[in-house]
Amino acid sequence: MKSFSAFASLPGRLLLGSAAALSLLACDPSNDPTPGPPPVVTNSVFVINEGNYGSANADISLFSKASGTVTSKALYASANGKALGDVAQSMVVRDSLGYIVLNNSNKLEVVSLAKFSSKARIENLKFPRYFAAASSDKGYVTETVAYGSNGQVSVIDLKSNKVLKQIAVGVQPEKLAVVGARLYVTNNGSNTVTVINTGTDVVEGTITVGDGPNSIVADRNGRVWVLSSGKIVYTPTTATRLSKGSLSQIVPGQLTATTREMPSDQSSPGNLTINGSLDQLYYTYQGGVYTLGLTEATLPTKPLIRRDFYGLGVDPQDGTIYGGLASFTADDKVIRYRTTGAAIDSFTVGIGPNGFVFY
Amino acid sequence: MVLQTYFAGRLAARLALLGSLGLLAGAVRPAKAQAPTDTLRLRQLPTVRVAGLRPTRFAVGSRQLVLDSLALNNYRTGTLADALGARTAIYLKNYGPGQLSSISLRGTSARHTAVLWNGFNINLPSLGEADFALLPVNGTTQIEVQPGPAGATYGNGAVGGTVQLSAAPTGPADWGRGWHGTVQGDYGSFGLGAGLATAGFSNQKIALRTSFNYRRADNDFPYGGRDGQGQVQRQENAAFRQTSFSQDATLRLGQRGELSAAIWLTDADRQIQPGLGTNNTNALERDQSRRLTAGYRRVSTRNEWAVRTAWFEDVINYRDDLSGLSESTVRTSQAQAEHTWRLAPNASVRVGAEAQHFAAQVDGYGAAPRTENRYSGFLLLRYDPRPRLQLSLNLRQAVLPGRQPPLTPTAGAEWLVLAAGRHALSLKGNASRSYRAPTLNERYWRPGGNPDLLPEESFGYEGGLAHTFKTTVLTLQTELTGYQQLIDNWVQWTPGASYWSPRNLRQVRARGLEASSTLGWQPGAYRLMARGSYAFTSTEKTQGTAADADPVGRQLPFVPRHTVALSTDHAWRGWQLGSTLTYTGYRYTDASATAFLPGYLLLNASVGRTLALAPAWQLLVLAQGYNLTNNDYQNYRNRALPGRNASLSLRLLWR
Repeated sequence: MKSFSAFASLPGRLLLGSAAALSLLACDPSNDPTPGPPPVVTNSVFVINEGNYGSANADISLFSKASGTVTSKALYASANGKALGDVAQSMVVRDSLGYIVLNNSNKLEVVSLAKFSSKARIENLKFPRYFAAASSDKGYVTETVAYGSNGQVSVIDLKSNKVLKQIAVGVQPEKLAVVGARLYVTNNGSNTVTVINTGTDVVEGTITVGDGPNSIVADRNGRVWVLSSGKIVYTPTTATRLSKGSLSQIVPGQLTATTREMPSDQSSPGNLTINGSLDQLYYTYQGGVYTLGLTEATLPTKPLIRRDFYGLGVDPQDGTIYGGLASFTADDKVIRYRTTGAAIDSFTVGIGPNGFVFY
Repeated sequence: MVLQTYFAGRLAARLALLGSLGLLAGAVRPAKAQAPTDTLRLRQLPTVRVAGLRPTRFAVGSRQLVLDSLALNNYRTGTLADALGARTAIYLKNYGPGQLSSISLRGTSARHTAVLWNGFNINLPSLGEADFALLPVNGTTQIEVQPGPAGATYGNGAVGGTVQLSAAPTGPADWGRGWHGTVQGDYGSFGLGAGLATAGFSNQKIALRTSFNYRRADNDFPYGGRDGQGQVQRQENAAFRQTSFSQDATLRLGQRGELSAAIWLTDADRQIQPGLGTNNTNALERDQSRRLTAGYRRVSTRNEWAVRTAWFEDVINYRDDLSGLSESTVRTSQAQAEHTWRLAPNASVRVGAEAQHFAAQVDGYGAAPRTENRYSGFLLLRYDPRPRLQLSLNLRQAVLPGRQPPLTPTAGAEWLVLAAGRHALSLKGNASRSYRAPTLNERYWRPGGNPDLLPEESFGYEGGLAHTFKTTVLTLQTELTGYQQLIDNWVQWTPGASYWSPRNLRQVRARGLEASSTLGWQPGAYRLMARGSYAFTSTEKTQGTAADADPVGRQLPFVPRHTVALSTDHAWRGWQLGSTLTYTGYRYTDASATAFLPGYLLLNASVGRTLALAPAWQLLVLAQGYNLTNNDYQNYRNRALPGRNASLSLRLLWR
């Protein structure tokens, strides 16, 4: 059973709502030194259905925002007449192409977004996890290689779809982000973020953050936010948490981070996500979704949404929050919420929705 | 009048006793159907030596499927997965040839089948189930399957059913045979090679049997036609080799005592076949089991007592490119003691107790060993108030660490409605409560292991009829059974915020029908055995906790609604011809019952000739063909299986 924290009260929600409103006011564009990104219009949502490990039943579901329905539950299979692969870990869009990382098929599948037809395949990766493009020419994939030893980042030529280079990073590299001329790679098996120069593809250094960094975003000021799950160590009788989850902030160019600990050690935070105007952070924690403005001094102790999501996404156009419930046994559900945390609707997708791509 | 009843009752008891010795055992034995009166047979028994009562004697009203040595004849170098898969309508989830093969009895999962060897549960304590691809047929002489819950009789995990393997010589025919032996070699498709050697000796005092099995295959079979580039796709990383050694010894001490001991060692070195379209991580698994038992039994006309002890060591070492090595060793020590009173020829009572100690050194549980003790006590009653009416009532109370399972009773009845001329018709039924203790993995795996799991509980009942038609040359046995059972606190691993954890999620209802017919016909030199069985299985979630997202009222994944098995065995002057045809209906692959694997037919056939080489020497030449229609099919999701393939065996028999 999932234990929910005891903050379900209405005053709590009101307080949280006003805090969110205040934080939005705090980011009033006229007072902001750096203007935010241009507004984005999105029409479709690609839901990444991870599928069952070993079963090669991963696929992408296509949700139409206009009709509010899933127009294709298994988009890749219906467009290409074959299975996508095993364990769809992530998907990224770059220049009307979709890059889908198939973790247990050791490949990166490139599809055209127009018809979702397969365009290319980069194979023989070593347990690839996440992809990020630095430009139309160059992308990066994190690869686990093996648990307990250093992973790597493969540099990919997006024109020829070939691996150009492999860069050794820390243990279990997970999500990554290109910020300016740097690539930040979270090393989930340790407490570091590897910084790679995207011009030279050489490691510039490593930054110490909290234990178990798992997700990363950049805000409107160019700051890099890293969410870490914390570390649990098992003794013969109990599971002892050595460190709490944490949220770190990195100023580009510096090899240090300021880190804040999560309030409770009963849960590992994950799925750090940012809204379209790049000023509101969201993450999953303690069986809920938490949100935080860039300048808030303390980490929230009450969730915006009380639901235990496997995948989390925020529509950059209007801030609608998408939460993927994963049973891994049946067709799963995605629930949509307003920025206030009020549920809108839900729809059925494939097995194990772990992420969303808005296009 | 009283006297008459007494004698009739006594006769019925003796006949049932004979049945339990296996003399009346057909391939499908209607449970304890009364045999036609045959007093001659009683008089012909050698020295009066009372045999112990088998546990099945207390399983009145249950369906029993028996695969005896005759039915297993073509599977001497194979595994239980091969034999049950081809000869019964039981669905086994099969991940590939030689790969994990887990049984699903009456729509339950493999954890819900108790697998017993000489009365001891041999399910892996860590997983709570047995891999039927790791159980060689030669390690046993008889396989008895009793579908349905029978926790009171067989203990932990007998929820969906029980599979009993018996190795020790139990029938009178096993005594006084002198020396005998067999050597066999097999050669087959995709690098299949197998060998077998058995030797045995028995007089009226001692019986010994030794057997050694070896089996290997490359399993580089082509599958699924050609890929996009026109290349034939071949299965990778699916080779295996396995060996098995067993030694049984039984020593008769006087007229009443019997000391027995058995050793069974199995060792399998397998590459783990990757799923279609998934990455080959060069996974390897080493499975080793060492099983030792010893027991003493003393049987007299009114009393019987037995003590048995067993020591098992089960090793699973797994390695792949991603995760490296993961080791697991679980040692199980068990002891059982029981006393039986034959109060009257038509009434017996058995009281017993069982203790199990598990010591697990499993990487997934942490560095320190985990230990757990489980106990249970039982009371089994069998009473035949009328010669044609048999009743049994069994009770068991298990004591598990943490939360307690309820008292599990089983009640059964069987009534010989009609015994007229060549026809015999019995009605039977039973109701049973059963339990399954959480497995060591479910309790101790880290992260996620849930020490607070409740035992699963089930309550089920079944009813049916068995008909026997018998002439001097023909025997036709037909059985029809309907059942329903509810399984509560059904455990499933579900994803949490950061790891998966087992939870008592739901209630599941299994119900269905089982029909089977066995025909034996021997007009002269020609002999025919034909069997047909059909199972309709409906298993659904009926309710769940808030944490359970699966919908209710849909067929559970990997439970085929329809399964059929047909087999024929013909014999004529040293020639043998056999065929098995199985149909496995569609299986949903997810709990929403949307995606499914299509049903498939599988046809196997064999032809053989036994040649007499010398007075005591015989040679069997046997050719077997599998998947003769060259079906491209999947039994379990995303696992390739070979098309048409064959094997050739040479078996040399001495005496």
